[in-house]
Amino acid sequence: MKMINRIAVCSLLLIGLAVSTAQAHKINVFASVEKGEVIVESYFADGRPVMESRVMVFDSNENQLLETRTDREGMARFPIPKVDRLEIVVREILGHRSSFMLEKAEVEAGLEAKD
Amino acid sequence: MKKFVLLCTIMLWTSSALAHFGTIIPSDDIVTTDEDRTISLQLKFLHPLEMHYMDMVRPQRFGVMQRGTVTDLLGSLERAEGKSADQEELSTYWTTDYRIKRPGDLTFFVEPQPYWEPAEDLYIIHYAKVCISAFGLEDGWDQPVGLETEIIPLTRPYGLWTNNLFTGQVLLNGKPVPHAEVEVEYLNESPGNTDIVVAPSDPYVTQVVKADADGVFSYAMPRAGWWGFSALNEADRTLPRAGVEKNIEIGAVYWVKTVDMP
Repeated sequence: MKMINRIAVCSLLLIGLAVSTAQAHKINVFASVEKGEVIVESYFADGRPVMESRVMVFDSNENQLLETRTDREGMARFPIPKVDRLEIVVREILGHRSSFMLEKAEVEAGLEAKD
Repeated sequence: MKKFVLLCTIMLWTSSALAHFGTIIPSDDIVTTDEDRTISLQLKFLHPLEMHYMDMVRPQRFGVMQRGTVTDLLGSLERAEGKSADQEELSTYWTTDYRIKRPGDLTFFVEPQPYWEPAEDLYIIHYAKVCISAFGLEDGWDQPVGLETEIIPLTRPYGLWTNNLFTGQVLLNGKPVPHAEVEVEYLNESPGNTDIVVAPSDPYVTQVVKADADGVFSYAMPRAGWWGFSALNEADRTLPRAGVEKNIEIGAVYWVKTVDMP
């Protein structure tokens, strides 16, 4: 009986570890447009930056417009590549990915701010 | 109809035991990148279970803290009116819309003007807070705003299932309040609550828990919707009324939302 209990406790601990690892590795992306520049932030739920990871930008026809990388702060900045709905995809080294959709209206509003 | 009459009757019975709660209820407590980034908030002074409104004059202070930065939102408030089904007079409350611009937890807070309560011969000031998770960055929900009194959540205050245990710490002037008494009420106005809760007797209206020596309390929330936690203390100052100094009840109020597990 004791052995069964130990196995049950170990299983729960392992499940807990697996869940917390999965949660910790979930990456998030947020982007905004200011003064003609797209600002991308990528972060884990606890606030740690997603560092030096691929950032790809696609237009509304799924054509890739550019590729860059996040810095040590999880940030990437680049001039607006096209006035369109932009999908920003961040993929880190272990393959986890996340994306953010910048609507065309937001891109246009960011252009206006430049003036 | 029978249920309404029963509700009104119970409201009359319980009127002497009604607990006042400052409320600050957002349209959502979790906002993701694929949702509308504008949330609405309602600021009221209520008896949450009985749905009784009290007049709330324009607050003294209303703002939001995100990533350690406090932004004043007082100017954005718009006046609105509401009442419960059995109230004749409309009461004032306040609303606003807020567009979330950055990821990170948003703690909205309100400091109302002192409310004169003749039945208790004192003023009431309830500092109410609520936290919204924005775009997956779970950073800041456990940070104090620096209010005169406030509840610091020790349980992440969003993404809560019904029956989860909510644990918080009561602070007064930045220090824990040993053995603080915390009142807990369900907001019958919670969106999605189609079956109004009618308390069978007074003690069911307001739940009461005591904090430990570090001001830490817990309560398991048995129903889906918004739950308010209110820790009451007496201020070490007074306010004049007709030439007489009156005591001030200051409340630290915190709101969390629970959802039934599918």
